[in-house]
Amino acid sequence: MNQSRMISLLFLLIFALAACTPSAPATPSAAAMPITGATAEVVPSATVKLSAPASIEAASNPAATSAAQAPVRGKLVIYSGRSEPLLRPVIDAFKAQNPKVEILLKAGSNSEVANALIEEKANPQADLFITTEMFTVQSLAQQDIFQPYRPAGADLLPAEFIGPNNSWVGLTRRARVIIYNTDRVAKADLPKSIFDLTDPKWKGKIAAAGSTNGSMQAQIAAMRQLLGAKETEKWLVGLLDNKVTFFGGHTDVRKAVGTGEFALGLVNHYYYHLQLAEGSKVGVIYPDQGEGQVGLITNATGAAVVKGAPNAAAARAFIDFLISPEGQKLFAGQNYEYPLLPGVTLRAGVQPLDAFRLVKVDVVKAAQETDATFDLIEKVGLP
Amino acid sequence: MLKRGKTLMLPAWLSRYIDVRHAVRRRTSLAFPLSLAGLAGLVALFVAIPVVYIFVRAAGADLDDWQRLLQARIWKLLGNTLLLVAAVTGGTLLIGVSMAWLTERTDLPGRKILRWMFAMPLAIPAYIGGIVHLALLRPRGGLLPQMLENLFGQPVLTPSPLGFFGAAFILTLFTFPYVYLLSGAAFRSQHASLEESARMLGYNAWQAVFFVTLPALRPGLLAGALLVALDILGEYGTVALLRYETFSSAIFVQLSGRYDRSAAAVLSGVLVTLAMIILWTELRVQGQARFTQMDSSWRPAPLAALGRWRYLMLIVALGVVFTSLLVPVGVLLAWSVQSFLDPQTLQEVFRTGSRGFGSFAWNSLWTSTLAALVAVTLSLPVALFSVRHSGWISRFIARFCQVGYAIPGVVIALSLVLLVNRAVPILYATPFVVVIAYVLRHMPQAVRASEAALNQLSPALEEAARISGLTAFQAFRHVTLPLILPGLLAGGALVFLTSLKELPATLLLRPAGFDTLAVRVWVWAADGFYVQAAPAALFLVLASALPLFFLLRREQIFK
Amino acid sequence: MTKLSVQHLGKQYTQAALPAVEDVSFELENGEILALVGPSGCGKTTTLRMIAGLERPDAGMICLNGQVVASESRFMPPEQRGVGMVFQDHALFPHLNVFENIAFGLRGRKPAETKQVVGEMLDLVGLASLAKRFPHALSGGERQRVALARALAPRPVLVLMDEPFSSLDTDLRLVMREQVRSLIKVMHATVIFVTHDQEEALYMGDRLAVFQQGRLEQIGTPEQIFQASATRFVAAFMGNSSFLPGEVTLDGIHTEIGLLRQPVDFPVTARVEVAIRADDVDFRSDPQGNSIIVDRIFRGMQNIYHLQLDSGLLLQAFKEHTLVLPIGERVQTVISAGHPLCVFHEVDCV
Repeated sequence: MNQSRMISLLFLLIFALAACTPSAPATPSAAAMPITGATAEVVPSATVKLSAPASIEAASNPAATSAAQAPVRGKLVIYSGRSEPLLRPVIDAFKAQNPKVEILLKAGSNSEVANALIEEKANPQADLFITTEMFTVQSLAQQDIFQPYRPAGADLLPAEFIGPNNSWVGLTRRARVIIYNTDRVAKADLPKSIFDLTDPKWKGKIAAAGSTNGSMQAQIAAMRQLLGAKETEKWLVGLLDNKVTFFGGHTDVRKAVGTGEFALGLVNHYYYHLQLAEGSKVGVIYPDQGEGQVGLITNATGAAVVKGAPNAAAARAFIDFLISPEGQKLFAGQNYEYPLLPGVTLRAGVQPLDAFRLVKVDVVKAAQETDATFDLIEKVGLP
Repeated sequence: MLKRGKTLMLPAWLSRYIDVRHAVRRRTSLAFPLSLAGLAGLVALFVAIPVVYIFVRAAGADLDDWQRLLQARIWKLLGNTLLLVAAVTGGTLLIGVSMAWLTERTDLPGRKILRWMFAMPLAIPAYIGGIVHLALLRPRGGLLPQMLENLFGQPVLTPSPLGFFGAAFILTLFTFPYVYLLSGAAFRSQHASLEESARMLGYNAWQAVFFVTLPALRPGLLAGALLVALDILGEYGTVALLRYETFSSAIFVQLSGRYDRSAAAVLSGVLVTLAMIILWTELRVQGQARFTQMDSSWRPAPLAALGRWRYLMLIVALGVVFTSLLVPVGVLLAWSVQSFLDPQTLQEVFRTGSRGFGSFAWNSLWTSTLAALVAVTLSLPVALFSVRHSGWISRFIARFCQVGYAIPGVVIALSLVLLVNRAVPILYATPFVVVIAYVLRHMPQAVRASEAALNQLSPALEEAARISGLTAFQAFRHVTLPLILPGLLAGGALVFLTSLKELPATLLLRPAGFDTLAVRVWVWAADGFYVQAAPAALFLVLASALPLFFLLRREQIFK
Repeated sequence: MTKLSVQHLGKQYTQAALPAVEDVSFELENGEILALVGPSGCGKTTTLRMIAGLERPDAGMICLNGQVVASESRFMPPEQRGVGMVFQDHALFPHLNVFENIAFGLRGRKPAETKQVVGEMLDLVGLASLAKRFPHALSGGERQRVALARALAPRPVLVLMDEPFSSLDTDLRLVMREQVRSLIKVMHATVIFVTHDQEEALYMGDRLAVFQQGRLEQIGTPEQIFQASATRFVAAFMGNSSFLPGEVTLDGIHTEIGLLRQPVDFPVTARVEVAIRADDVDFRSDPQGNSIIVDRIFRGMQNIYHLQLDSGLLLQAFKEHTLVLPIGERVQTVISAGHPLCVFHEVDCV
């Protein structure tokens, strides 16, 4: 009996430990009710570094060039298709400026989160939606999920990255590139086009993100629009025949190429830089620049305020922050992305986009044809 | 444990009532069975609704959806899934039975400790085990291949935990304890005279084991194997991690692909039907398992001497313990220490996203505890009804309430998402939906534990209480309940344990900002942040180990 | 022809203070039933198990059919001895039906032959209609019969039975006893039968071996055991004897209830005890008698009276069932044995 008692005591101890560790215990939030003057969050004074040495600290001066407003209070519920580690620096920076705000994040894949938004249309739980590519957000905009918001700095952004009726705002741009392991691929053998990936000489040596990944879905949607369903299908089938390994996310892809497990990887450009910063022997190819080739496929992340959001003001403030120079600098600095706000310096080593021939995609049209894209993906049987 | 036929000590105050000469026997009013039946029926209804809803949505899906799904990879997925189920079931049977035989029926050195060590991997969720082995053995990227590459200057081929073989191996490693515990108990309760009879009839020691001991265990083993099969059928985290596609992961993908849930419902319908067939078989077989008991003049079987095989068997046993217990715990410890030593990582561990480590731990603990409480409470009327008023209705209700075994977490989450938002929107986006998912999925354990506890209690006790004037409810509260409480606690511990490590349903149902330890580990590990994930994983394992320890001790398995 | 020879058999368990079996020797003839009888823990089961090969003796030798199966240097495992055994709990294999259970020991024979042998056994035990049943669907008596058939089917050289009827109800036990004994005799089987029930031993055995605390007290025919008990223990164990103190004189033994005229081996004036059973005692009503009736037990066919002598000693006596005398009545008790009684040295501390 003594021993069981000791065990129960130990157990209670663990319970107590968990309950008492310094952070607000999760109170079950009742259906969306704005809580003003909410719980104070413990906030680190310095932003948490992701990887490389050269960091850019968040500007903590409230006199920002974005619309000067009083610090936001209350809750902010963000549904994000971007993975949490990549979003964290921005969240932390925003919190540094607005210490009284409590940010609740639900991160998942683009479509998973999008599905949740649609489910909750009658009973919105989210305030802000952040996505990794434009087609999803446009598709949702078409389903009337968002409320229009044009942030003050929106005029500075290129017009094609603002959703129709200001339903969404683009944040940063990314290019679809090929990352390669310098030990495994000789300079002479480097592929020049994404179509080279179907060359049998790369059989079993390529990694890519699978069909659940937003950026991959967007690439397929873009290709469908540019080249037609048949060509795209041919390409996809070629990838499958070439025994491409499909991961759940690009982080896995870049790490696998970094260790040499795979020779080539199909990723967003910033993953190359992240991997390089970890000291891996990797290189990058911006494909399809030659004559007659399709061009560099790009996409952009976006944000939108949910219609009927309980904390719409906070959401708007967050978007303001995202497209403010500090916010854009964070994306560029921390994540090696292409900020949409002109005049923001790219991170050293990141090749500017105007050096490349880019494809032009009709976002609205692509968003309308998401079903067709998914049909294609399923027909081919992409994992 | 109270056995029928043994003299039972009645509480002192009760004996006062029994002595009363003019005790009037109350007519057993029908009211109690009816209200009991009603309660049990309500619970069954509660359990049924998500199941029914899935089938309704599946049936309501477009013909196009059906066609599209059928012509797509469904058959391959089905094949993959069944293959994995077969492989893991076979593997767990092989390892579980042989290890049980070694610790229960031979003179293997160190078997007392080995008994515990074989059971403990139950505290380690399979996906955490997968994470560890992946980090260690990932081709070219893992710790071991890298070490070997540095040593030999060129890539060395090592066994890969990815794909079919890796998934089967990892899943076997962390589910074999089910079979081990079951067969261990069966070996222990076997009568010595069975094998002795076989020897007298001309079979040598080994032949006696193969022709008598093992076959006699068959029903119990079959039941255990089917439970393992159900577990694997619903498995999501590990197979996703190890890049092996099964039905469950396909459903998950469906949920993340389209904007229409009907397709996911269709897949779910197929999966649930498959699982129900397995569950039905298991329930049938489990009943037969009882005929192997012989309790008159029980004599424990003598231990077989291993002789020169001793040390080889010990190495094999240690090998199993090493890969299933020591390596995962050891690596988690090492990583946790590493994360504590690096202040940056430490900060990431304790303050991530919008919440801190404490809140993850607290979320895990309170949701699992609440789920355990609710599940056990709900299981009581069901168990009472089925044990005390045995009939086809009560048996049906009891069996039906075990349908949670057959519904993978993904599917429960899907049906709850669809239902709750329409029916009880106030619950939506609260952690209580997660708790409901846990209850639905793990109710079977509570029902079985409650039934087992009640079965051991002689009905004469309640009858004695009723005769002396207590109402049915009072009899239950004052006599039955205190006596079955240990059994109920065991059921609760089991529900707690399995809810703590639940992954897919939690991933899908949790409201923004509400993470459990399991989810945190998953999110970190999915992006390769193993070191950050380690403290949470370690905490999860420890928090599971305690109720597991309690369960094992209570069962007096290791006397 | 000697089937089995056991010489100076001994077994000591390491945890026990006393040996389980000590210096046990006996021989068994072909076709004979030997009953090993004694209180629990006396070593009879251990002896049986050593003969079976399930335990290894620490001392002594066992010869079966002229072949040494166990000795200091040699140990033949049970599967090679060709010995059949029926266990207390029947030990039927739960995963096989009756037919398969009985056929279990007939491995290696042609299917036709197996079928014939099993069929014969089933007829012998009267269970031909239950061939397809599984053990859990049989009653206790049926299970024991199947166990017997299974043990006998391979025609073993020796059959060992370890308290086979103790798990059955009383009346079933009696019926089974008769059936089993006749079956054994029909098959001319050589049997060692272990029981703690002396009545059963007396019925079943051609010879009895009485055990106590690991030692063989006496071996002989039931009559010899019963009437000429070699030791005090045997006398007490078999037939519920009481011990009547007395003194040896020239005429016989003077006891409290009379003079016992029989020649004894003890010197005159030695104090002895006479083993006396209920059928050796008689009484009649006598207001000046030497004893009082303290209890009467009605046993259907007889009344057993418990009589308390004036000295305090309790004796039992049979009377016909119609004779009912009240408790407390004073009676005169006398010895009324038609045969010599067993006499032993007086035990100092009783």
